[in-house]
Amino acid sequence: MYNSLTRIQNVFGFFTSVAFVVAAIIAASDLIAPRTPSGMIEPTSVQVVKGRPHYYSTKKEEYAIIKFSLEADLSSLFTWNTKQVFVYVTAEWPSLGADGAVTQNNSAVIWDNIITSPSADHLSNMPPVALRRLIESTAGRVIDPGRGKFQLFNHKPKYQITHPSGHIAESSDVKLRLHYNVQPWVGALTWDQQGVDLGLWKRLSDGVSEAFALPPVKRKDDAKTSSSKAKTKTKSKAT
Amino acid sequence: MASQERITVHNLADLKNTSDDAIPNYLNSLKFKQVHTLVDTRLALGYSAFLIAGACFLWDYKLGFEETKYYTAAAVALYTVLNGILTFWIGFVEKGTVYQGTAPDGSKISVSTSTKKNVPIYNVKVTVTPKKGEPQTIELARSFTEWFDAQGHFIALPFQTMLATTVPLVGKADPKRAAVATPDFMNTDSEVLDALLAAQPTGADSTDADAGAGKKSKRRKA
Amino acid sequence: MLSSLQNPRQAAAQLLNFALILSTAFMMWKGLSVIADSPSPIVVVLSGSMEPAFQRGDLLFLWNRNLLAETSVGEVVVYNVRGKDIPIVHRVVRKFGEGDAARLLTKGDNNAADDTELYARGQDYLARRDIIGSVVGYVPFVGYVTIMLSEHPWLKTVMLGIMGLLVVLQRE
Repeated sequence: MYNSLTRIQNVFGFFTSVAFVVAAIIAASDLIAPRTPSGMIEPTSVQVVKGRPHYYSTKKEEYAIIKFSLEADLSSLFTWNTKQVFVYVTAEWPSLGADGAVTQNNSAVIWDNIITSPSADHLSNMPPVALRRLIESTAGRVIDPGRGKFQLFNHKPKYQITHPSGHIAESSDVKLRLHYNVQPWVGALTWDQQGVDLGLWKRLSDGVSEAFALPPVKRKDDAKTSSSKAKTKTKSKAT
Repeated sequence: MASQERITVHNLADLKNTSDDAIPNYLNSLKFKQVHTLVDTRLALGYSAFLIAGACFLWDYKLGFEETKYYTAAAVALYTVLNGILTFWIGFVEKGTVYQGTAPDGSKISVSTSTKKNVPIYNVKVTVTPKKGEPQTIELARSFTEWFDAQGHFIALPFQTMLATTVPLVGKADPKRAAVATPDFMNTDSEVLDALLAAQPTGADSTDADAGAGKKSKRRKA
Repeated sequence: MLSSLQNPRQAAAQLLNFALILSTAFMMWKGLSVIADSPSPIVVVLSGSMEPAFQRGDLLFLWNRNLLAETSVGEVVVYNVRGKDIPIVHRVVRKFGEGDAARLLTKGDNNAADDTELYARGQDYLARRDIIGSVVGYVPFVGYVTIMLSEHPWLKTVMLGIMGLLVVLQRE
């Protein structure tokens, strides 16, 4: 058994160990790349409409449509090991019992966006023309300083949100919060640090809106127009 | 005798294993009584670890993870401990021991062998404990080329002579092999010894005459 | 080396080497399971529903303990639909309530609609117990071998055969 097969085994074994070490080093290099994300988010217009979860449903539910403005700089999250950053905005609100005490906490994504790193642009799920433009925009650079910078004004939410009870109107103490999830090429997935600094990774500065209340359900004739508007697909201007 | 077939001379593990196998064969043929405690302990440790893993596999397969996870945790811990003991046993107790036994005169003998990576030298350490008296350790390092031919056949005679001439206890049990080297030759270097061995007629006075002769003829054919 | 099998102790020792390689691999897997508290702490991505984050064949490491915080919105989780045995890797997009009573909704990043259609009949939300872990680590492509093996089952037999033969015939 001491022949070409053993040699192939040895070569393959060595290759595996080298690949493992290189991957470990790349994954660890994330820790020495400083992260200084910042974001400002605020709701601009809020309405609640009645609708059906799907066409055949007889149940009517309340849907909140929260338009928002977002100004964020997540460009420091892009390093050579970043494959994509998943940016998302959640609405968080408590459900209150009959006595006014909080019975449960709720959170739902109202908007999200995938920002690929230039190295992962080719994997993006976009129309071909936009994709070509995106790939050409970086011209072979590993890191594009423009990635992760947002300026959205009075932006439509991607998702209208509801609650399993069907009631969401007049909820109080609602907050919008900006989050991100960094997807590496190899290594650990990381999220915004919920107000904690970890070494060189600073917490997301700001990133939470003031608390606000949802309005009552809009009158029927209003509801029709606004809900149909909200259904039209929203495209983010962010790159 | 030890493996009749050829081995690949470039494979150090094969060289060592074949030589290791030859030691018990030789010593047992000299009416030494082999003691198997070391290997039996190793087998017991190893197979109990394996049984635990097997049981763990069975209950995990039949009942699922959630139901059995505390038993699985215990099994993993136990397996780790048993495997740790096994590693300790192989590395610090067995230490490459290939033979333990009692000579016909009652003294105890223990033989351990080792090789260094990519060095074709067979290191043998023999510890003899007489019935009364201090244990005595004999160490020798010999090239495998002394008892393997270019085709990879194991030649028993020079191997056995090496043991018989260097370990008095073995020599006493096998005077024919020991006779090659009178005390005058005990300290001569291996090349001289080789020359003497080559001059020695084979077959006639060999304890395993047929095996030795068979190998000789095979070698000539090759 | 087959002649050495004539000695029962040596045969047992050689068989033990093979047995220990198998059982150690299995116990390492189970150890990882116990540490991560997940029946399957490493999974291979089988679909493109999370592209571009995860492609088919990527390897994901899961963690199923809520030591510091509960599983929350934005995490990528692996869940089994009740009554089906296909693990799905998707992101939590809504969460109502806490703990065992929490109702979770998931969605694939690359899918237009959320997972309500994928869930069992009459099930609108996932519960925490449906989830077998949150994705914490990622290695690309390495798991593609298992996709190959499951799509071409004869490869499995061949590989196991070769491995077994090598270990039995070879002593180190």
